[in-house]
Amino acid sequence: MADFTLKEINTLEYVRPEIDKGYTDQSLHINLTSKEIKINLIDKKVKDKFIGGKGYDLWFMWNAVSGKTKWNDPANAICIASGPLGGTPGYPGGGKSIVTTISPLTGIPIDSNVGGYFGPYTKFSGFDVLALTGKSDKEIVVLIDGIDSKIKLYEVSGLTNDSYTLSAQLTDYFDKEKPVNISVVSTGSAAKNTELGCLNFTWFDAKRKRVRYKQAGRGGIGTVFAHKNIKAVVTRWGSVSMKSNNPADFDALKNVTKLHAGEINTLDPKQNRMALVGTTHLVPIMNDHDCLPVNNFKYGQHPEAHNIGEAVYEHIFDKGFDGCWRGCAVACAHGVKDFVPFTGPYKGQKVFVDGPEYETVAGCGSNLGIFDPFFILEMNFYCDTYGLDTISIGTGIAFVMECFEMGLITKEHTGGMDLSFGNRLNALELLHQMVRGEGFGMIVGKGIRKMKAIFAKDFGAEAAIMQDIGMESKGLEFSEYMTKESLAQQGGYGMALKGPQHDEAWLIFLDMVHNFMPTFENKAEALHWFPMFRTWFGLCGLCKLPWNDIVPEDNRQNPEPAKVVKHVGWYADFFSSVTGRKVSPDDLIPMSEAVYNFQRLFNLKMGYGTREHDTLPYRAVGPVTVDEYLSRAERYDKDLTENYKVDITGMEVAEKVAVLRKHREARYEQLKDAVYKRRGWTPNGIPTVETVKRLGIDFHDVMELLKSHGVC
Amino acid sequence: MITVGDKEIEWHEGMTIRDMLNMLEHTQFCAAVRLNGKLVSSPFFETKEIPDKSVIYLLPLIAGG
Repeated sequence: MADFTLKEINTLEYVRPEIDKGYTDQSLHINLTSKEIKINLIDKKVKDKFIGGKGYDLWFMWNAVSGKTKWNDPANAICIASGPLGGTPGYPGGGKSIVTTISPLTGIPIDSNVGGYFGPYTKFSGFDVLALTGKSDKEIVVLIDGIDSKIKLYEVSGLTNDSYTLSAQLTDYFDKEKPVNISVVSTGSAAKNTELGCLNFTWFDAKRKRVRYKQAGRGGIGTVFAHKNIKAVVTRWGSVSMKSNNPADFDALKNVTKLHAGEINTLDPKQNRMALVGTTHLVPIMNDHDCLPVNNFKYGQHPEAHNIGEAVYEHIFDKGFDGCWRGCAVACAHGVKDFVPFTGPYKGQKVFVDGPEYETVAGCGSNLGIFDPFFILEMNFYCDTYGLDTISIGTGIAFVMECFEMGLITKEHTGGMDLSFGNRLNALELLHQMVRGEGFGMIVGKGIRKMKAIFAKDFGAEAAIMQDIGMESKGLEFSEYMTKESLAQQGGYGMALKGPQHDEAWLIFLDMVHNFMPTFENKAEALHWFPMFRTWFGLCGLCKLPWNDIVPEDNRQNPEPAKVVKHVGWYADFFSSVTGRKVSPDDLIPMSEAVYNFQRLFNLKMGYGTREHDTLPYRAVGPVTVDEYLSRAERYDKDLTENYKVDITGMEVAEKVAVLRKHREARYEQLKDAVYKRRGWTPNGIPTVETVKRLGIDFHDVMELLKSHGVC
Repeated sequence: MITVGDKEIEWHEGMTIRDMLNMLEHTQFCAAVRLNGKLVSSPFFETKEIPDKSVIYLLPLIAGG
């Protein structure tokens, strides 16, 4: 018996449209202030230009907010969409949702690509995109019931804030007989006390008979969700098959699905083994290549890293199928059963932990100087259940720990806590403080950019050194890769539209290990093609892992192996078979390019989106401190003498640090020039009139925006 | 003999991962291999010796998350 009550406050009955070639051509709008529920048709021009998924999200957000809208204004929208290909069972990675909002951390649109069944179920219920605006005066639950063709709003009381339990209770409440019909979006109790809130998206794991979770982690979307007083959004849908999208060419869809799934089933066991170990195989590989962040990105490897890699997690993960979408052959969403936390409200109780993935292992493990797989599980569990982004939490606490060790902050500021690297109990205590809304954890929960300001203003810490070691750009915390020796990846982070997240471009190995792009122009080309192609997955409702994390055995014979050309061809076939819009591989990049440039313009509309905002902390570019230089002295000496032709004879190390910095920072600015030129942007990083016209995004308000920035 | 993907290659005493890669074409983008199920990354290619009858798979470029 549920110990909470749901009071129905508004209901809309609707006629559910049949899906037509991957689309419903409808959007669902819920105003949480007025409780109004509206269904609109989506214009064909919008469909042709924005494709779906993130494209739709950005278009509806653009129309919801003004340039002055802040994250906590009622006008801010949370948009959730899958895409025309989303919801294809059996196609690897074929069931993603893309979430956007104006981020509390950055003030610009954030996007997050997440598994679970919500996006596909919402589409099958009749809506290509859901837009949530306004702010409810009371806690609210939204139900999108595609089986009964009703949208319902409920006021809720007595429902837990704990995201895991809340989702399980609502799954049980809305379809006790067939829990697999339910997907829940919620956040946790720390989201409203911090700016690092994530969203948990669920699916019901029929074999384990439990609700499972994936996170839309980045940029504080959960904080916006909590601020709007949304307790949960629930979608209910029934059976799913390869015909659910009503594809244009069913046989072609079956064929390409069989090819891609078959290849992954054959090759994943030989390559990354993600069906067994998720993405934890990356831990030892990154460590061996000096790319695993250790102690706030100061170092790239540690002798104890093997304790937190695939060799350990393979034996900890619960065995069984772990796809976050139906029939996904990659099946990388692993979890750990019967884990017993040693702190917090679940201390001593057996819990199921969904994860960890590489980012959580590196962020909440090595980057904190902690190499204990069970500590990482506990961080993973509490971040999820409290509704916190494990990446921003990991990178944020790493910054705090370095500040503490440098004496920039002391126990006087941390409430008596020793926050030096490796302190497991106090790292966890910060999370618990974020839930309780008290203590130093409340400052940490504001993110690195605001922490830097507080530490400088209130604690007297030196601003310049914090600027160098605070691993944020545009206000978003870095994800977990070292970039010091890869200029291309510095660009991949610094010029990423939403901030330093690797889902736009991950070029470290091509650049640093393989030296595949030696010139600025080579790097600029990569920083054009890869972000554009990766954007395409977000338009269509797909996961990118099946594209290039498992590759054909003959891929290495291709002149451009990084593009995995065979798979690009399959994606073109996939798109054609579902939508009926015949495309070749060459057509995919222009689809993304329009949306990508539109997002850059959206940043501009919000007061950002220019060159000065594509900056990096120096820790991402080179050694900040003398001991950091000395830890890789041979490498840096070589860089100075061979690449920059500097005579280092008789130089003190501090002088070498300064000279190297000057050269490396200049090199990054040169890269910006090359990338902006390749993308068709001005030297200030703004898309030119010619570019927006070529891409067909020369809408009246876009042209006015450009004009207001002197781009005519 | 050792097996690399679907190929069989003559084995010799002291054979390293680098020796093995040098016997194959198009391996310039190989950053890690699985040697009898265990990961070996490129910094160890010159020193890691391959036992006879090993089964080896070349990993993709390592594409990141």
